[in-house]
Amino acid sequence: MYRKFVNARSPMRLLENGLHGGLGLGNVGALIAGHGVGKTPFLVGVGMDELLRGGTVLHVAIDQTVGHVKDFYDTVFAALATNTHLDDPQRTQGEIDHRRRIRTYPARTFNVDRLSEAIQLETETGARPTLILMDGLEAAGVDPEALKAIRELSIGLAAETWFTIEAEGERIEGLPAPWAALWEHLHVILALEPEGEVVHFRALKDHDNPDLQELRVGLDPRTLLLIRS
Amino acid sequence: MQQQNDISKLRNIGISAHIDSGKTTLTERILYYTGRIHAIHEVRGKDEVGATMDSMELERERGITIASAATHCVWGENHINIIDTPGHVDFTIEVERALRVLDGAVLILCGVAGVQSQSMTVDRQMKRYRVPRIAFINKLDRSGADPVKVTTQLREKLGHNAVMMQLPIGLEAEHEGLVDLVTMKAIYFEGESGDEPVEREIPADMQDAAATARETMLDAVSMFSDELMEAILEENVTEEMIHDATRAGTLSMDLTPVFLGSAYKNKGVQPLLDAVTRYLPAPTDVKNMAVDLANDEAELEVVSDPEKPMVALAFKLEDTRYGQLTYLRVYQGTLGKGDTIFNSRTNKKVKVGRLIRMHADEMEDIERSTVGDIVALFGVDCASGDTFTDGKMDVAMTSMHVPEAVISLSITPKDQKAADNMGKALGRFVREDPTFRAAVDPESNETVISGMGELHLEVYVERMKREYACEVETGQPQVAYRETVTRKVDFNYTHKKQSGGSGQYGRVAGFVEPILESDEGSKDFQFVSAIRGGSIPTEYIPAVEKGFRECLPKGRLIGFPVQGLKITIDDGQSHSVDSSEMAFSAAARGAFRKFYPEAKPQILEPIMKLEVEGPGEFQGAILKTIMQRRGQVIGSTEEDGFSRVESEVPLSEMFGYATDLRSMTQGKAEFSMEFSKYSPAPAEVQKELKEKYKSKIPDEEE
Repeated sequence: MYRKFVNARSPMRLLENGLHGGLGLGNVGALIAGHGVGKTPFLVGVGMDELLRGGTVLHVAIDQTVGHVKDFYDTVFAALATNTHLDDPQRTQGEIDHRRRIRTYPARTFNVDRLSEAIQLETETGARPTLILMDGLEAAGVDPEALKAIRELSIGLAAETWFTIEAEGERIEGLPAPWAALWEHLHVILALEPEGEVVHFRALKDHDNPDLQELRVGLDPRTLLLIRS
Repeated sequence: MQQQNDISKLRNIGISAHIDSGKTTLTERILYYTGRIHAIHEVRGKDEVGATMDSMELERERGITIASAATHCVWGENHINIIDTPGHVDFTIEVERALRVLDGAVLILCGVAGVQSQSMTVDRQMKRYRVPRIAFINKLDRSGADPVKVTTQLREKLGHNAVMMQLPIGLEAEHEGLVDLVTMKAIYFEGESGDEPVEREIPADMQDAAATARETMLDAVSMFSDELMEAILEENVTEEMIHDATRAGTLSMDLTPVFLGSAYKNKGVQPLLDAVTRYLPAPTDVKNMAVDLANDEAELEVVSDPEKPMVALAFKLEDTRYGQLTYLRVYQGTLGKGDTIFNSRTNKKVKVGRLIRMHADEMEDIERSTVGDIVALFGVDCASGDTFTDGKMDVAMTSMHVPEAVISLSITPKDQKAADNMGKALGRFVREDPTFRAAVDPESNETVISGMGELHLEVYVERMKREYACEVETGQPQVAYRETVTRKVDFNYTHKKQSGGSGQYGRVAGFVEPILESDEGSKDFQFVSAIRGGSIPTEYIPAVEKGFRECLPKGRLIGFPVQGLKITIDDGQSHSVDSSEMAFSAAARGAFRKFYPEAKPQILEPIMKLEVEGPGEFQGAILKTIMQRRGQVIGSTEEDGFSRVESEVPLSEMFGYATDLRSMTQGKAEFSMEFSKYSPAPAEVQKELKEKYKSKIPDEEE
């Protein structure tokens, strides 16, 4: 299948529909899920979609290695290429990998200044991000002030920013306690919850829309791919 | 020299780490404290003697260790064989070979720079060979030394369950000694060369810190002993219990005990030797596998039992001023002077005339060696990696992982004397180092050497000059490109020659296609015969395969080997009189010539995994050096003011990188590089390579 068809049929389009057009440039979204439910695969899925549509991704991971994150992308790409019979996968992967940068930090050393420096460096070396993904922020701790600063960076870049929050259990009731103060600063909040053999996305906040829609998007735990559900 | 009888008291260890983290200095101190040498020489020998383990002149000059040298020493009741291993990635095969014969290792880390890129490469290799290790954080006398930070890096960057077994008493210029968290005593190193470790009470201002650190250590170590865990609860912990638990954790590779010191300032070496003998495995603790040549290469364990038939591995050849030395590790049985042994690859018989135990440049004759020993033989004709037995078992030790050569260089002797010596030198280097290759290019008639990197080849060129008085002129370094096909095409080719006498006739038909990543079998070349009904007689099919294979070493795009293609023949024709093996080989070659351009061939270039590490402020400069080289940045890690960038860069762009990086980062960044994969070269690069090739060969042969 040609790349443009893969993009058109991506479950991300369904997610965007369910969210009244998606996260939006300059906005910040959060995904909440229990441990091991699929936070990183979600970020990688969003990142892969952006890369396949020609965007540039900055993937920030706390307390992980670059190799670990890269393996995720490689695994998801291989599954996607197989499932969609993507045309010329080797060439496509070579091309999209050039537009993806992974930055890892130990939790104790990460802060918004580090992120800002990273963005500046990436921009100078031709990889100005159109999407920022942040994994494991809870270990580094983010307060409303930091979130505001992250938002400023997103606006400056006209990029979307997603990050993940780990919840205690599998059922998500809202933002976990330490993060509750962030509610008003986030544009979209999604919950990821296992149900049968698939994990499903549920919108907890969709900009200012009071009518939260069913998202009909899930994650296949075997392939780590985003799927229609 | 007394015979080493108690195998449980033998240790075969490697000292492995990043270049300049002090391996050679530490080895030198070990040899001094174990009485093997009687004076200490520094690596970059101010006294013009140089460290004992740096046995090659070149190593002395550069202050780095290039070839491993094995040495033997005695610590208390324990015998220790030490293999000093090089720290530069271009010599990685040396490290890998050393690891193959080791039972344990000391991972040295610089107390200032911490875990560097090469430490990570070496650590990956140790994991591959399942070598248990203990860590030694060196250079605590240097400004900026921080063993706690380095221990954290061991955990975070290398994933070790690292636990400090000591605390430093003072750091940098104030570094005086260590606190042993097992005995809860302070150790100071007195005497002119730190010869006399003296135990005293822990300084008052360190009592609390030591108690806390011991608690942390006990928490980590007690995971490997129920007895210790109970004893902690009952508050009757003994030193023996801690040692046993630490040893158990180390042997299972679930724990890395961390020791501290400054080899240069003679601090911490004796406790490290105690740790080597206490925690690292004896040969009997390690399971070694061989392949049974008499039973279809089935895996077979060789047992550390001196009573069993002898099995030994030749892991290193070295030409010394005394003649060629073959280093062996005895895995099973015993090996003695006067014994007759067999090379299982060549089946040649060898008589052991002299059995040597090496001590860097010096040697001692021994009568007999036993299981686990590392010894050397004189004048044995064999290759590195050969297995010797006493003829009672037909086995070979598992083959070692040998990476592909990625770079080559043409060399031309400068004069007749050099020409005379060149063959001898190359012959020896090739036998010594499986990653170094030498061949004559039949077209240019030039000698071409290939290896793992620029520095790797440079060192051999230097060694030819110094050791064999063989000066050579070198050509431009040449990248080992490959060619491959990208699409499936059919072929149908008839080879027919009728020019008087007996003719030649053979027709081959079928298709060629690229081998996919998901395909089973060889990724280089596959040949399938789907001939039905004898259109090509069975006896000619091997000749067809041979004909195709003859085309592989030299592709028709730029003259580099062709790989990644699968040829299936499904039809053909023969002639009762004119067909022959020769005719069918020629038909296959003709078919290849015809289908190759149609199968959209492309050039593959070697891509190297490059890791660059330097102070954070130079990250931008580092990224630029990568981008300028068609590199693909995979990611970066930042920690404590240091940044490590991981990337993939075509080898062809890496020449002179060391110089560029140095100038862009004021010499503060460093890199390590290893082969990653072959990838299609960009169109413009392919075009340039093809034009260059065409200009060299104006009239393409048909």
